[in-house]
Amino acid sequence: MVSFFIFLLLVAVTSAAASSDYSERLLLRPLPQSALLASFNFRSNESSASFEHQNFRYFPRSLGQILQHAHTKELHLRFSLGRWDADSWGQRPWDGTREGGTGVELWAWVDASSEEEAFSRWLTLTNALSGLFCASLNFIDGTKTIRPVMTFHPEGHHHNSSNLHLLHGTLPHEVVCTENLTPFVKLLPCKGKAGISSLLDGHKLFDASWQTMSIDVRPICAGDGSDCALEIEQNVDMVLDMDRSKRPRDNPIPRPAPIEEIACDASKPYNAEDTCYPLDKGEEPDWSLTDVFGKPIRGACPLTNSDGDGSETVCINVPPERSVQVNTKGSYVESKHAEDTMRCYQLPTGDDFDLMLPSQKMTTGLVRSQPPLTAARSINGHGQERGSIQAVITNPSLTEYVEFVYLESLPWFMKPYLHTLRARVSTSTENPVVETYYRPAVDRLRGTHLELLLRIPPVSTLTLTYDFDKAILRYTEYPPDANRGFDVAPAVIRLVSPQSQHSSRGTYLRTTSLLLPLPTPDFSMPYNVIILTSTVMALAFGNVFNLLVRRLVGADEMDAFGPRGIKGKLTGRLQRLMRAFKGKGGKAE
Amino acid sequence: MSSVRDANASSNTKPAANDSHSPPPIIKAAIAKKQPPPETSESVWTRRWVIFSFWAVAIFLGLPVWWKATAIYRAELPLQTMTDWADGKICKPVFPLRIAVEAPALPLQDAQHLVRTTQHALDDLNEFSAHHLRLMLAAAPFANASQETVGTTNDNTIEPFRVPRDKDIALSIRMLPVESGSTPRSELQQYSPALDVYYTPNQIPPPSSTSSPLATFIANELHKVFAEEQATLAHLLSTTSTAHVSKIKSLSPEFSAELERQSTRAFKYAPTYHLTFSLFSPTSVPSDWEIESALQQYLTPLLESFSSISNFTVDTQVQLYATFSPSMRQPEFDAELNAWTLRKEDLSGFINAAEWPLSPSIGIGPTINFVLYVPDPSQSPLLVKENGGNSWLVPQWGGVRILNPTVSGGAPSTPAKLDKEALASAMHTFSDQLFSLLGVPQTPASLPLRLTTLTRVRAASLVFSASSTLSALARLYKALPSIPIPDTVAKSVDLTTAHLQLACNDLREGRFQGALENARVAEAEAEKAFFERSMVGQVYFPDEHKVAVYLPLLGPVAVPLVMAALKELKSFLVWIKRRE
Repeated sequence: MVSFFIFLLLVAVTSAAASSDYSERLLLRPLPQSALLASFNFRSNESSASFEHQNFRYFPRSLGQILQHAHTKELHLRFSLGRWDADSWGQRPWDGTREGGTGVELWAWVDASSEEEAFSRWLTLTNALSGLFCASLNFIDGTKTIRPVMTFHPEGHHHNSSNLHLLHGTLPHEVVCTENLTPFVKLLPCKGKAGISSLLDGHKLFDASWQTMSIDVRPICAGDGSDCALEIEQNVDMVLDMDRSKRPRDNPIPRPAPIEEIACDASKPYNAEDTCYPLDKGEEPDWSLTDVFGKPIRGACPLTNSDGDGSETVCINVPPERSVQVNTKGSYVESKHAEDTMRCYQLPTGDDFDLMLPSQKMTTGLVRSQPPLTAARSINGHGQERGSIQAVITNPSLTEYVEFVYLESLPWFMKPYLHTLRARVSTSTENPVVETYYRPAVDRLRGTHLELLLRIPPVSTLTLTYDFDKAILRYTEYPPDANRGFDVAPAVIRLVSPQSQHSSRGTYLRTTSLLLPLPTPDFSMPYNVIILTSTVMALAFGNVFNLLVRRLVGADEMDAFGPRGIKGKLTGRLQRLMRAFKGKGGKAE
Repeated sequence: MSSVRDANASSNTKPAANDSHSPPPIIKAAIAKKQPPPETSESVWTRRWVIFSFWAVAIFLGLPVWWKATAIYRAELPLQTMTDWADGKICKPVFPLRIAVEAPALPLQDAQHLVRTTQHALDDLNEFSAHHLRLMLAAAPFANASQETVGTTNDNTIEPFRVPRDKDIALSIRMLPVESGSTPRSELQQYSPALDVYYTPNQIPPPSSTSSPLATFIANELHKVFAEEQATLAHLLSTTSTAHVSKIKSLSPEFSAELERQSTRAFKYAPTYHLTFSLFSPTSVPSDWEIESALQQYLTPLLESFSSISNFTVDTQVQLYATFSPSMRQPEFDAELNAWTLRKEDLSGFINAAEWPLSPSIGIGPTINFVLYVPDPSQSPLLVKENGGNSWLVPQWGGVRILNPTVSGGAPSTPAKLDKEALASAMHTFSDQLFSLLGVPQTPASLPLRLTTLTRVRAASLVFSASSTLSALARLYKALPSIPIPDTVAKSVDLTTAHLQLACNDLREGRFQGALENARVAEAEAEKAFFERSMVGQVYFPDEHKVAVYLPLLGPVAVPLVMAALKELKSFLVWIKRRE
């Protein structure tokens, strides 16, 4: 009989750990199919008084100055790669509040007296962040910026929120890579030299099946609005494929294990000496931090609390029967939480720390918590003129209605027709659209902004479709790889009800990004056009000119002017020559 | 096939000769070619007119349209004026310094005489004509307005006026009669622009004498006070422009090299400087410092005194786990000094620019970095090998100071938090470095005097820098005929020259603060004009592309036009020859 324990949600564990000025925590959780979820969380606080005076201690100076310069009160920045496989991995970490769509996503509350001022400060912000994170954030211009109405709410405490403007921009085409991680790690007080951040390595992080880096800056205040501080929270969440990560870096080509080591399914008809259908071994793989991340943790970051909740910086979420061995020379403390499914460790200072889990046959497992909603989005249709978008959103709950906001930020060259918007629910005939907010695109100035408040009954699937036209771009507006297609930012879904039990931040979900093929011209076109029109014009000119300046004579009168044309001239010359030759010859005779 | 012409000729010239065996008449008729009717002169002229009008359209309409359509807009710039500014033909900066003499204890006649004789002595001492000290008798506190100008007419000397105290007075001399002590003696006030001169009443020169020991003494003292300023200005004049040949002879090569070193060390003038104080540590301690109160105590008063010249923003940061760059030679242990040492030549690589987050602050203006480095206890004390020092200055970048942890109980230990007392010495080092980096002169001892000297030096250097930017723009204008010059550039140039003129007038009249303001505007406008974006943004458009674009159209059109013109010209020449 296999018994199950519930997966702990990350938010429940780390919510208490914000009392000191700096705290960090790593949570490891094995997932099915030898995947491993690693969630790194770093928080630093700076009192708002010293922030105003630009005395930075744990808050990074470079980012702090950018925020002050751009008058940004709250900032959320995401770098993401890959897709979260909700079917096999279950609910997203942090309820999806700390992840972004594929590429780069940025939203911020900017303090400004007018919309124009807010936008110019937003541009300042994106340009400065672009330099700080070595990302193309400066390409977030008016066409990629929207002002969401229902989807995002500030997380921090803002007292004079009347002047705050929310702006949101995405870059779905941006490829997140090591050059974004390096500045990210530099913002941490321990800089990857100690503490859990010493595990962050670009080779492993960007080899993950799914990864997201986030930076969230928000003001937090005591209940009465005094004693404010600015909190920066940095997260790195990734799902590593353990088999892939364990391959040595100098020999990364996957090779099959020797056939003797594989348990084969002999009942298959093709089972032979050289053909094998491998059987599932039914046991958890063995792994250690050094295997998966390439190096052990280099001791604790001394800036964290030395005792109490914040001192337990590494936690692993496995069933109680799973054996976990600690390999360190220093002294560490292990404690167990939540019916022993969560083991947390106080790291030794100055000594390497490694966790080793041997291969083990398990009788119990952990139950994955189900996501409250699943969503998939695709482009339908064919041809280069028009297409349609289809989003399929499923509510798996047996009892509860789900109400959510669906946000689309489409590029201007994708022109949706709102009258073709259809929302159908599989189990009922009522209209699921509760509210619509739509701001149409303006060519080359801004993109489409569509927000829908939708409601799905239990065990139902909602299908949302709308048609769109594909615009033809100007010659210079095409990127160098125009035939690859254009990326369309993921749709953002925020659950309105049921509310998440774990935190006030809400629950978020993002679809994958889409690739939109646009009609691409022949890029040698301008020269062809020049040559063609020139030829036509030259022909016309030549005819008119010749008609005007040539003298017209009858065909029989033409010979009076002597031989015409090159042929005539040539034959004339030839004959004269031949005659001269003949004349000489005649004399000689 | 026989030649047609031959056939024609034979049939025309000898019609009778071949009669007997000539071909049948029908064939003969066919061979005797039909002549086209002679071309009327009217149609010849029509053709000529047609060709002419085509050419006329091409030249008088096509060319101008093409010229206009592809022309680049270039605003008119006063090139000659711009070059003249750089050559110093328009403005020769002069620095007349007004020095007020306060002698409340002296009768007016005596005071005026003293001022006159001192002025004579001073003029004899001065070797640098552009820098001129002008003595004036200060208004006595009780004097009313009608008594203020009591001038004597004299040809060569400057009339001593009784003038009210104002901010254009560079220095005031207070004549204080004393009975005891060695006289005359002088004392420069540290925190106000005042020179106290003590004298005994019998040293006052009698009205008949033309010189006196007291006057010579005062003149010498004044000359000493302004010696460095004179040298700096002379150096500035001689280096920035060929037209201003230095007229000061006593500028020795060593002294000139020292001035050169000081000026390369200092930042260029900016209206705003950003100061960044960073605490670096290779370990996790100290992770906190009482920087706010330390800055409040040691730095804020200093920055306030600078406020008439530049503004400052201050930010601080703490950076832990800061390692040296791998290319730098690691500190070595020196048994003699019982310390870890850095070589002097390695100091330039001390700052690990790749990893230490010392990026410039956001906003206009340069960033001055001050780095406080607390070495690892296992590597302390850390000193510079050659001189045992613990701080150095990085020219035009900032300053570094190593703060070695205090040794307590045999082993050095770093406190988790640096308090204000621990920071005091570092703050003094940083303020010294800040003075050097801002180009404040070393002498005289009086801080306000040094700052006003800085005002004059800065104003002069801004005038020179704006003028040389103007001449660079003029050269650019001439050298690159293909770049567009928008109207904003012309406007900026006009503003620059106007403000340069104002600055120059201010300098001449001794209003140095106003001169600095105007020179600042001029410099900003000149930079704006030079770095105008639409000017730099001109894309390189190669000639091959022009050929590729023009040839397909112009080739087929031009060939018939040219051929027709040539042919017509030829026939016209033949016609003329025939007529002769």
